Amino acid sequence: MTLKIGIDVGGTFTDFLVTREGADPQIFKTLSTPKDPSIGVINGLRDIADSMDPPQTLEELVAGVDTIVHGTTVTTNATLTSNGAKSGLITTDGVRDALEMRRGIREEQYNNRYTNVTPLVPRYLRQGVKGRLDRNGTEVEPLNLDDVRKAIEIFKAEDVQAVSICFMNAFANADHEQQAAELVRAELPDAYLTVSTDLLPSIRFYDRVSTTALNSYVGPILSHYLDQLMGRLGEIGFNGILLIMQSNGGVMSPEIARENAALTLLSGPAAGPGAGLVYARAHDQEKCIVVDMGGTSFEAALVVNSPIMVNEGDIARHRLALPMLGIHTIGAGGGSIGWIDEGGLLRMGPQSAGADPGPVSYQKGGTLPACTDADVVLGYLNPDFFAGGKMQLDVEAARKAIEEHVAKPLGMSIEEAAAGMYRVVCNNMAQGVREITIKRGFDPREFPMVVAGGAGPIHSCLICDELDIPFQIVPRESSILCAVGMLMSDLKHDFVRTFVARFDDMDWPRLQALIEDMRSEGEKLLIEERIGEDRREYFIKLDCRYQKQYHEVSFVVPSEAVANGDGDTIAGLFHAEHNRLYGYSLEDQGTPIEIINVRVQAVGTTDKPVYAEEEHAGPDPSAAQKGERSVYIPERKDFAVVPVYDGHALKRGNRITGPAMIEEVTTAIFVSESFDCVVDKFGSFALFRKDREDLVAGAL
Amino acid sequence: MSDIDPILLSVYARAFRSITDEMSVSLQQTARSPILCEAKDFVTGIYDGEGNMLEQTENLPILAFSLAPVCKYILEYFGDDIHPGDVIFHNDVFSMGNQNNDVAVYKPIFFEDKLVAWSAAKGHQADIGGAVQGGYNPNAVEVWQEALRIPPVKVYEKGKLRKDVWDLIFANIRLDIVQEDMRAEIGSCTVGERRIIALLEKYGLDSFERHKEALFDATRKMMEAEIATIPNGVYEGSAPVYYDGRHEGSKFTIRVKITVEDNHVTFDYSDTDAETNGFVNGTYTSSASATLLTFLQMVNPDIPHNEGMIHPIDIVIPEGTILNASYPKATTYGNHLCPNNADAIIRALAPVIPDRITAGWNQLLCSLSTGQDDAKNDKYVDIFFMGMKGGSGAMKGTDGYDHIGMIDASGGVLDQDYEMFEQQTPHRLIKHELLCDSAGAGEWRGGLGVETVFEVGSEDTQVVTFGDGDFEPAFGLNGGGEGTLNIIKMTYPDGSEVVPKNKDLILEVPKGTIYYQQAGGGGGYGDPKARPRDLVAAEVRNGVISADVAKSVYGLDKVEAAD
Repeated sequence: MTLKIGIDVGGTFTDFLVTREGADPQIFKTLSTPKDPSIGVINGLRDIADSMDPPQTLEELVAGVDTIVHGTTVTTNATLTSNGAKSGLITTDGVRDALEMRRGIREEQYNNRYTNVTPLVPRYLRQGVKGRLDRNGTEVEPLNLDDVRKAIEIFKAEDVQAVSICFMNAFANADHEQQAAELVRAELPDAYLTVSTDLLPSIRFYDRVSTTALNSYVGPILSHYLDQLMGRLGEIGFNGILLIMQSNGGVMSPEIARENAALTLLSGPAAGPGAGLVYARAHDQEKCIVVDMGGTSFEAALVVNSPIMVNEGDIARHRLALPMLGIHTIGAGGGSIGWIDEGGLLRMGPQSAGADPGPVSYQKGGTLPACTDADVVLGYLNPDFFAGGKMQLDVEAARKAIEEHVAKPLGMSIEEAAAGMYRVVCNNMAQGVREITIKRGFDPREFPMVVAGGAGPIHSCLICDELDIPFQIVPRESSILCAVGMLMSDLKHDFVRTFVARFDDMDWPRLQALIEDMRSEGEKLLIEERIGEDRREYFIKLDCRYQKQYHEVSFVVPSEAVANGDGDTIAGLFHAEHNRLYGYSLEDQGTPIEIINVRVQAVGTTDKPVYAEEEHAGPDPSAAQKGERSVYIPERKDFAVVPVYDGHALKRGNRITGPAMIEEVTTAIFVSESFDCVVDKFGSFALFRKDREDLVAGAL
Repeated sequence: MSDIDPILLSVYARAFRSITDEMSVSLQQTARSPILCEAKDFVTGIYDGEGNMLEQTENLPILAFSLAPVCKYILEYFGDDIHPGDVIFHNDVFSMGNQNNDVAVYKPIFFEDKLVAWSAAKGHQADIGGAVQGGYNPNAVEVWQEALRIPPVKVYEKGKLRKDVWDLIFANIRLDIVQEDMRAEIGSCTVGERRIIALLEKYGLDSFERHKEALFDATRKMMEAEIATIPNGVYEGSAPVYYDGRHEGSKFTIRVKITVEDNHVTFDYSDTDAETNGFVNGTYTSSASATLLTFLQMVNPDIPHNEGMIHPIDIVIPEGTILNASYPKATTYGNHLCPNNADAIIRALAPVIPDRITAGWNQLLCSLSTGQDDAKNDKYVDIFFMGMKGGSGAMKGTDGYDHIGMIDASGGVLDQDYEMFEQQTPHRLIKHELLCDSAGAGEWRGGLGVETVFEVGSEDTQVVTFGDGDFEPAFGLNGGGEGTLNIIKMTYPDGSEVVPKNKDLILEVPKGTIYYQQAGGGGGYGDPKARPRDLVAAEVRNGVISADVAKSVYGLDKVEAAD
């Protein structure tokens, strides 16, 4: 019996998904242990061992585990709380402040109380050294090794844990950086070292120096954590494969993660989108919107054949120019607090009650009404069956808080105020979905929406109404979607080279050579990760723009097109993508196209759990009905008594007419009056607008 | 208010903001000129059928409040001759435009055959005709020496391109990219139009009209509540403007009288000096924008930017003053009078709301270089954003912000990326660093300025300067010290030194010249001796305060020298 386990360490809970051939996947949750998250991991594994039939010891359990895929937020948390490693930066003389100045931006222009972030490396540890390359990478002045030695002496005296090296124009020539690196390795063998062109050999100095410094900032922390985790797993005899989740939605070996720690910085939600696609495929869809609503934040991502990627992002206002999934996060969750602004408008969030003190109804000291409190008043959350009944919710306290802080100021009833809070938070989330669809040239109505997170499925109908989305899928594993995604992820390694050239004057063989370089680097990593040749794949992307534009469009090109120097095909793809994104192309004007970067993604396919299809049980859901209760029906702006179903008892093919509630231990689903629901072959709840039965024809 | 759904009101407010943001993204991503896509010198907005502002995304605050007045002017100008599919251009500073180079597009939005709203975008175009490429002509005395005037003109009528009109306009503009960038503005307006119509289809015109009024009301109340916290009274302040670009040693004064009466405020500039006989003149809209953006930094930053916000504020700027030039005076410099205007307002209100104002900000001194990049066989134009941004003023409780530049941008204009700068110009960057001892000292120090050096990479380079802040540094408050001066100087390969005036045009700058610039620090707030000792020591260690200054100004006894 071989087990695969996905482990997602979150701020409050560590989620586990256990799969084995021929059995239903199982969900486990245990409290996280932020000081040393590996303890929580072991605790959870112990719970899993205990639940086996017959119960096993930890050692017996892990002996049967062939793969653990692990998502961690240790690097994210270190950055968000400014608790990274003490590091030094060696950079070109004259530009050491780029890291701190961040191109001179103040994100809040009217707010004079808004201050700059603390730099990742303090100024006295940012050392400029002489030596210069020109824009083509040609040496103008040799690297001054004495300057490098001086910097190293300061780092020694200051006892830095990590060193970053980033020089002007190194994207075009890595020589100087490698010379400096050699000295650092010799003199500071124990320091964690990041060389900019090893991590990110692409143009744009600020992006590169910030990304390099981030890698050094979190590298020692991730290394330490991996030591702890691998030590504990080793102690109990784990001998399988351990893989680490990265921000690009792929996984990597711990050895590669150690060197490229920044690849994990935005990996928290990165497993979700790929998992969403698995559930969409049950309906023959290769695309979907994936939303995840937790306690404090709401994440939205788009999948078109594979999750949509972006080439850069920010963390704690620091630039991180590494490929990552294009996940949009807004401050909307169960803990979002409702308040009235000075103009008398109801607002929800971004302040959140968090888990502590939490919403008022948790009775843990919260006094301000949160989204969850509104959900309780509206009947969407069952106060006696929250977390499967482990936690009692206080409806009266929720009503009082809403009355005081929202209903009275707005001159409304408590129910109207709760409905308003519900609507405003759903509207905020709908705007978040617009960010990843309409703003990127996609029509949300054409996508099924996969809904995850404990709080997601009681809000999703209204989000869909707002965006005219006719189809939603709520997986059984909705509350731990990321843990599912970890088991569905492939090994992925991204490479980039800057190659500035015009299409009408292109050195195709040189471009091809760069691609071959990156391909063989990728191949090397995949071989280290024990991926056979038949499981290796390579994808090429170009970042191009019309001449004199400043922003590039990144798009996939077939490898034959580059190999054959087929500029017309590639130009055609660029025009089409530009048109999709911005509503026009300049194909007819004959404007020259420039290439700036070329990218390769090396993918190693992993073994994935196969979901067993459930038996068809017919449309009648009545066996699963466990009662009825009064809930708010947005379409009627009034309450009505609706049937409540036990989600665990619903079977494939069961059809539920909205409005209705479905309850499971870790999640509740509200099927609004506009929707009906059918259980699909994976046991997911497929909600379709009443006039769009065609969308679920296969499942009915 | 009986027909108002307070929840729907929140929904509208959020939707309006999302629409103008989306218009902004569309414009930024498709524009060519670095002024638009890197510096984001543009604004997008939506307006109701009468031209009242529903929402805007500002990017650069100085443009922020210039669209609505023109919208109202266009309505008056065309009367009932406005149709679906019309696209209207405008830049004319004598019909409410703010700056000649800021060319706006307006698109009327019809629903159920009725004009119900407008979408508009305005960006600083890289050229707009006139005597000098780019528009900054220190020798100009009349508008025609600066720019092509575009009073409201339809470039599309009922959906059909008026090719003759289009060609007439662009026959008078040097750079082809301006056509592309105006197309990008039109595209942005189309994005806004689609979204407004979708909103109307969802909620209906009636609901839209009612709720829009309620939203204006709510915002007005927010602004009134903020004004009411300022004690009633009449407050006066002034600030100098150095050099009109033509008469050496010339100096002018901006004078503002601010009257606060309960929940209403009036800014009266009647005593401001007369207009200049150069291009250093404001227009009503550019000056009023400057007033608003300065005042907005003193109130709750969350107030929505719509018609209701402006309602409790009156701004009086008589025609013929340096802040509101009479026809046909030259005005291209007018936007850059904002820092001076801001100084006057801050000085006036400093004694009244000392906790809510900053000390003086570093003023803008900008340069622009053009020439031929031989290696690429192509012309280049570069506005030297990274060099021009000094520090902001400190306020009680908060240090100034380093290197975010003049108050009219307030951190909205980004530096060129160093490597992109070297790709897009033949110049080579030598230094761009925080400038030690530039921050005005104080319990809360001013923002640091920067020192920037590059080697000129083209022969016969043309360098234009425009700005101020090289005569008087940013002022400190309540015992805080002043910032440092702006400096630009060029050392030619033969060793000679050229110091451009603060509004100047230098021709034939040779290759190999070393260009040197300091953008000064912002003013400090409060007694430097009260600044926490560990903070001063840390800044000495980081080399942004010298050991000498730490000792003599901050009174730090023991100092560890910076490396």
